[in-house]
Amino acid sequence: MKNYIIITNNPLVPTKLEDDSAVIYQDISYEDVLLHVRDRIHEGHRLLSHPLSGSVKPNETPYKSVMISVGKGEMDEGSLSIIENAIQACGKFVFRSDKYKPEVYDDFQLIDWTLIQSAIASADVL
Amino acid sequence: MRLEMGHIYIKDIQFAAESKIEDGILYVSEEAVKAVALEDEKIKSVSFDIAKPGESVRITPVKDVIEPRVKVEGRGGIFPGVIAKVDTVGEGKTYALKGMAVVTAGKIVGFQEGIIDMTGPGADYTPFSQTLNLVMVCEPVDGIKQHDYEKAVRFAGFRVAVYLGELARNLTPDETKVYETCTIKEGMEKYPNLPRVAYVQMLQSQGLLHDTYVYGVDAKKIVPTIMSPTEIMDGAIVSGNCVSACDKNPTYVHLNNPVVHDMFEQHGKTFNFVCHIITNENVYLADKQRSSDWTAKLCKMLDLDGVIVSQEGFGNPDTDLIMNCKKIEAEGVKTVIITDEYAGRDGKSQSLADSDPAADAVVTGGNANQVIILPKLDKVIGTLDYVTKIAGASEETLREDGSLEVELQVLTGATNETGFNKLSAR
Amino acid sequence: MAKLKVVHYINQFFAQIGGEEKADYPAEIRVGEVVGPGAALTQQFGDDAEIVATIVCGDSYFNENLEKAKADILAMVKEQAPDVFVAGPAFNAGRYGVACGTIAAAVQEELGIPAVTGMYVENPGADMFKTHVYIVSTKNNAAGMRDAVKKLAPLAVKVGKGEAIGSSAEEGYIPNGVRVNFFEKERGSLRAVKMLLKKLADKPFETEFPMPDFDRVEPNPAVKDIAHAKIALVTSGGIVPKGNPDHIESSSASHYGEYDIAGVMDLTEATYETAHGGYDPVYANEDSDRVLPVDVLREMEKEGKIGELHHLFYTTVGNGTAVASSKAFAAEFSAKLKADGVDAVILTST
Repeated sequence: MKNYIIITNNPLVPTKLEDDSAVIYQDISYEDVLLHVRDRIHEGHRLLSHPLSGSVKPNETPYKSVMISVGKGEMDEGSLSIIENAIQACGKFVFRSDKYKPEVYDDFQLIDWTLIQSAIASADVL
Repeated sequence: MRLEMGHIYIKDIQFAAESKIEDGILYVSEEAVKAVALEDEKIKSVSFDIAKPGESVRITPVKDVIEPRVKVEGRGGIFPGVIAKVDTVGEGKTYALKGMAVVTAGKIVGFQEGIIDMTGPGADYTPFSQTLNLVMVCEPVDGIKQHDYEKAVRFAGFRVAVYLGELARNLTPDETKVYETCTIKEGMEKYPNLPRVAYVQMLQSQGLLHDTYVYGVDAKKIVPTIMSPTEIMDGAIVSGNCVSACDKNPTYVHLNNPVVHDMFEQHGKTFNFVCHIITNENVYLADKQRSSDWTAKLCKMLDLDGVIVSQEGFGNPDTDLIMNCKKIEAEGVKTVIITDEYAGRDGKSQSLADSDPAADAVVTGGNANQVIILPKLDKVIGTLDYVTKIAGASEETLREDGSLEVELQVLTGATNETGFNKLSAR
Repeated sequence: MAKLKVVHYINQFFAQIGGEEKADYPAEIRVGEVVGPGAALTQQFGDDAEIVATIVCGDSYFNENLEKAKADILAMVKEQAPDVFVAGPAFNAGRYGVACGTIAAAVQEELGIPAVTGMYVENPGADMFKTHVYIVSTKNNAAGMRDAVKKLAPLAVKVGKGEAIGSSAEEGYIPNGVRVNFFEKERGSLRAVKMLLKKLADKPFETEFPMPDFDRVEPNPAVKDIAHAKIALVTSGGIVPKGNPDHIESSSASHYGEYDIAGVMDLTEATYETAHGGYDPVYANEDSDRVLPVDVLREMEKEGKIGELHHLFYTTVGNGTAVASSKAFAAEFSAKLKADGVDAVILTST
């Protein structure tokens, strides 16, 4: 049993993990992933990975994976501030994540996976 | 630590039967550099080309830019832990080929990397329009994984740069500069009345095409540490990142880190440049906390009076930048930060994804969302096939007349956050 | 190329009509005349532009007859059909600065004629209008006229010609929240080193990117005895009695309202509405308790959960309203709340 949950819209993520019980995959937008994470933070989960990981910006890549805690407590102000800023940042990039050739989406998925993989590597030490 | 940097000015690059440097002209044997690149069996083929300032040439997708150097005296070799064996570098004598660069290009993922225009409006923004560029485009063997391909291209660039640097080993430099730092105790004794300052450099460390290596170690796996500021001049830090190329540090920028060089100018005059502190920008929030705690702790242990903090990237690193700034300021150490901005195409959005009143001294490399039209150029080195997929571009990028409508984001080094350029914003 | 036509706006003082005693001087236009600072502007314009008319208006007259003054002046400007409108510079004169900002913004927004003005950064007009029109940053008194005109005239010519406007650092206007790129003379690392040297020496330095304003207010300690506390409601959500009797503006509010809710148990669609123009008003108009929770507080009052609900509430519209104005409103009604013995306030926003 992992002590984290990964909220993702990247179909590659559940296939990469041997134990995908820690993954909540939904076919939703990048911004909706962040909104889902924000709702979880409101419920008391803590943010464990940075929602704006990676240099491909919101609206440029369609994929996002974010790690939050399994456990719930008092709402964490720090987590809320980071996720709110991230949601706000979505607005400033011109939407073009539906404008790429099909094969590019696999690469976006791969990059998103390596980003969250680096968080998993840190989390699994614990 | 004392390092003598010998500068050998390269005025021209030409392909020739034999590789050599004569009268400031670099002659490159295509056959020889190909052989160096192809030492790695993961690379199927490689092609070399030369791009000169002012030519109607566009290079893309750019992966890294490297300045050739050679270690002439002293411990270790260029790119320790990567090309040379692991040994502490930063002292002795090193020669650099100035005015030129090795540029690696090639498709690793279907969106990524940058553009270097040698002329036109784009050339005003990328610093590498000013260097004579030996460009190598690498094709991988079939069925290779992206990670392996990325690594193969990265190493091939370093090997070629080291090969070219070796050509200068027995030359006499056109100019020599000496960089010398003291140990902690020496510095206290020598400059008792000067403020003690350091450079805190944040390194990209997030994942594939988002990584940096220190003596060959993945920067994700370091805890913040101190280095002599001369170590980077021998290639102690190398780039493994290029996505959203405007604010990523190619290896060239690490070798010539402008903060290190400009701080050396003041060393012993207006302040005592104590050391170079490196830290990372991991995705995992607890790593961020540990790293920023440590940078602040190091600043305190070193009794610093001031630091300059440079960032690398957008979003996730904004949080590290503000954590570092806040915690270092809280230790009573005066802090100046260097960043760039994503203020939207209209310049009206909030530039950073995090902020704090402690960050009251900010230098900016400009708004990376600014739109720029790059006219069609006569020649493309690499391929335009991927130009529509680099960060800051899309399928609509390529316009009917062949020009590109892009954001500054796509231009290699355009809004560099080590203060490499003159671009700014208000 | 023909010279750009400029209409220049100044107050009674700079028209040498008189000081405060003449501040009620109504708006008038002097066609073909260059008055007061217009001479310095004309000199600076050179062959690029010329003042075709000067409008003079007393500061009190403008601010006390806002709607009429604005309409009259707009009509005068329209008649002249200038290429660009210049107001001031107002330096640190508060009412003059607000007048310059108001009229320059109105000319630009309502007549579509580009406009510029100038004033000291702490002039309240600067904060209110810097995002609406270019405001050249000046010294705090008229001794800075030469310096002000040097920046104001070229900027007026540029906006008049519709040329691209550079960054605030290059053009000399008060930063307006729009980030504009430009090339500095020195590279960033050197600028950082110089900034650090100044910071180390405790000398003034100028950040290139001011962090967003942090006006953090420490929360008051918790109310000890809420069951006996007198609670008041204050909102920036624009809830007003039906018909908006005090005409609180739907954005950039210039005032607040004070309304009596003695005996009011519930805000209904028939009795209350919102004046706010920055959100969909449907739900607030249907039931204003959604923004100003009178109904719930009345229940709590009845249940003894709170002592009493104060019989007055204070309201304004937060939409685009200047921070300086909001602070002034609050300073005024907070004193009233205190005088009325209110123990705690519930402040609702939208």
